[in-house]
Amino acid sequence: MEFDLKTIEALAPDQASLSSASKLTKQSNWPRLEKNEQLAIIWGECQGSGSNPYRVVVDTGDHGYKCTCPSRKFPCKHTLALMWIAATSPASFAAAGSTPEWVNDWLGRRRKTTSQAPAPGAGGKSIGEASRDEENDVVEDAASVERREAAQRKRAQDTRSAVSAALDELDQWISDQLRLGLAGFVDNSSDRCRRIAARLVDMKATALAGRIDEIPSRLMGLRSEERPDAAIRELGKLVLLAKAWRLTPDDAELKRLVSSSESREQVLANPDATQIESAWEVLGEKIETRRDGLVSHSTWLLDLNSASPRFALLLDYFPASAGRRSNAFTPGDRFDARLAFYPARQPLRALVVDRKGDISSGEWPDFGFDIADPLAAHVAYQERAPWLTDCPVMLPPGAILKDDRGDAWWQSADDPHGIALPIADTVSPTLLGLDLTATAGLWSGSRLLLLAAQSGFGRLDLS
Amino acid sequence: MNEIEQTGLATMRDSWITGGTSFDLAPAAWKEIAGSANPDERERRLLAIAAQALEIALRPAAPKTLKRRPPLPELALPMLPERLRPVLRAALKHAADARTKSRVVALVASRGFVLHPMDWMPAASDQTSPDVYGPWIDWQAGVDGEKHTSLEQLTAQNWDDFYPVARRSALADMRRTAPASARQLIETKGPSEPAEVRLALIELMHFGLGSDDVPFLKSLSADRSGKVRELAGRLLARLGEHGQPGDGGPEDPVAELAAFIAEGKSGFIRRRTTYTPAKLKSPAQERRRAELFETCNMVDLAARFGVTESDFIGAWQFGADNNADIFVARMAAASGSDAAVTHMADTLVAEGGKPALLVLHLMPRLDRSRKRVLIRLILKDTQHLGALTQVEGVEAGWLEWGDLINGKTLPALRAAVAGNDDAVKRGVDQLLETLGFLTTAEAAEKLIGDVVAAGMAPAAPSLGLLRLNASLAGL
Repeated sequence: MEFDLKTIEALAPDQASLSSASKLTKQSNWPRLEKNEQLAIIWGECQGSGSNPYRVVVDTGDHGYKCTCPSRKFPCKHTLALMWIAATSPASFAAAGSTPEWVNDWLGRRRKTTSQAPAPGAGGKSIGEASRDEENDVVEDAASVERREAAQRKRAQDTRSAVSAALDELDQWISDQLRLGLAGFVDNSSDRCRRIAARLVDMKATALAGRIDEIPSRLMGLRSEERPDAAIRELGKLVLLAKAWRLTPDDAELKRLVSSSESREQVLANPDATQIESAWEVLGEKIETRRDGLVSHSTWLLDLNSASPRFALLLDYFPASAGRRSNAFTPGDRFDARLAFYPARQPLRALVVDRKGDISSGEWPDFGFDIADPLAAHVAYQERAPWLTDCPVMLPPGAILKDDRGDAWWQSADDPHGIALPIADTVSPTLLGLDLTATAGLWSGSRLLLLAAQSGFGRLDLS
Repeated sequence: MNEIEQTGLATMRDSWITGGTSFDLAPAAWKEIAGSANPDERERRLLAIAAQALEIALRPAAPKTLKRRPPLPELALPMLPERLRPVLRAALKHAADARTKSRVVALVASRGFVLHPMDWMPAASDQTSPDVYGPWIDWQAGVDGEKHTSLEQLTAQNWDDFYPVARRSALADMRRTAPASARQLIETKGPSEPAEVRLALIELMHFGLGSDDVPFLKSLSADRSGKVRELAGRLLARLGEHGQPGDGGPEDPVAELAAFIAEGKSGFIRRRTTYTPAKLKSPAQERRRAELFETCNMVDLAARFGVTESDFIGAWQFGADNNADIFVARMAAASGSDAAVTHMADTLVAEGGKPALLVLHLMPRLDRSRKRVLIRLILKDTQHLGALTQVEGVEAGWLEWGDLINGKTLPALRAAVAGNDDAVKRGVDQLLETLGFLTTAEAAEKLIGDVVAAGMAPAAPSLGLLRLNASLAGL
């Protein structure tokens, strides 16, 4: 069954969704549009506001659909846009003989519905109106622009003043923790961090508040004797971050860490945002539910064409109440893409600007490891941006060992009596018998979170 | 960080833990950086310096107790190609229990590959996985030290140099090719092994079991373990050797079991002997009869009636009491001679219908061709397709497309797929999983096409094993 615009109109939850969808029907938003006529499905990847493209699949037969975006509207604007393109420009979809794994997953899980699409034209929604909305996005006059920009400047000034006051309050709070004793802070970190985080949110230092809210869980993930040192590191980094912000409050990286992040459009328009086109491998993911009710979804990529290990972090947030999200990438995926890095002293966070074709799997490049200090890269990160917490590292040949408490450690194969890095989670017992030729992970200063490794048994997914 | 700074950091840390100022305790160089500010600011500056020092200047110390496990051994078969691992993982994910997972593993091994250790590892107690996984089972069992996993001949001298699973595997091979040598090894080394290992060694005697084994098996009647004595008795029974003669009185278990069986005659012209289960009067009798069938040997029971095992089976009235039929089949599988087992299987298969399903109990004793005959019979008949999922000990990947179209299996599958009965669909899922194990790659490919055309979602998880099977073609 082919789509017609009336069906899309009927499926849309409201007029706003249709209007938003109409803006996404430009082909430039869709690096991938494919169909399988035998299975009566269409799918595509839409470059939305997140750092990952959203994956959308629609059954043209019964109008079942799935999108990886966090929207709570069903269908979302991406789904409606895909249907819209199918209705108005069906030739845009390339015929695909086989379906991608993520489409297969959805097809395998779903139950076909027997109900058909609702009657067209219901609910006062109009495709014509949505199209006109887009056409009516007329150029503002000079006075309006001036007023809008003045309002923006005023808001920015207000935010800066509020954040400055917030950092003063944070400084005082840190001094109080030192005066009262870090032993007490560690024991009551949950309440104490929650209180100052709430104050910081009120004073527009939202990103900093989110970070402070996570301190208790970071401390509790360590053994009790390690917590005071970890508390010193966490609080000391906050001091450094606050000082750096006061020196350069317009610095994009510091604003991102203290108040709020730039939008995708702002990053793409920023000439300081480095863009790198390369072959990338998805190393692994880290999905955490935060105390502020958001889920942070980190996807770590490795540049396969770089002479030394270069990493990229695709970071998205969505409300925990939106439920489990499908992943845009699978660990081990390899693809050609152009990434735009958020400007930073040590650029890590990035956006996918343009994802090209997938490439075949294989071993990682030979990076020529620093055997003397496997954490040399971490030191370099910290010297440039001492407020960073988790730094990606590529470790030389090594193995996973266990201590007498049953905790796992990574240790270099060439220096079995040298440093060993404690591992954050429990590891598969099988991993203890494998020689790792290279290991990628996140070093937090006290724990190593494993992402992936290469071994005599090939690539290992460890995230 | 120098020694003075390390000492200073340690005392500052102690001060902050209990609460208080640390400025006076700080190293001179740090004081200089922090010095010009107010007291609170000084403490914060020192905190920032300390944080950075902890972050980059100190490294975690490796505990002296770190232990490395021996490297996971490489197996004799190559690893499944990387591109097929997602298909494999999907099949493993859908396999609900260890039994169905072991089918996935067996299918892959039958095509000459082993699984990636991060996708699947056999348990230390695994006894059903293909032999190729023996080194991994031994590794899982935590047997330390360098031992033989090679093809070196097992002897009494190098007995202790073999890992347990490798030793069992070598002995099983030896029993197939040189049963007397293997028996001598078991005879020599068995007594020094614990009962559990002795039992596993005696179980290997069923490979190449022959009359030469009788004296050794008889000598086991004095073994310390009751389980070993019982197993040896069953193996002797399979060779036609009678167990300890009873007194024939009411305390004799064989006589007690015979009392649960009614001997009769049938036919008007040629009077034939028949054995029919007697009507039971209570659940207690039912339980007692089950115990007796489990402990008595077929050769003794037949002898009690003065006939051979085959004559007893030929005269047994299958269909009169389903439970009794199952007990007789299990008894034959446990202690019947090879001739009796094949006679029973052939008789039941020839009869067809529900009685043929009793052959499922005989599967471990049947040869490859008889197993295949039974499976083809179940597929052709379709009345008891569900029984196919209970089939054990069958090879993977031999069922041809012709076997599937030769009967009503496919029409029944198509109708079930197209229908709306969830219970029936669950049965279909299990059947497809079993067929995914049994079929050739070509038949798997065709079967996927067939059920998809009938309305099954192409990516349905229940097609996982069929997809894996089909993708293993031509590697």
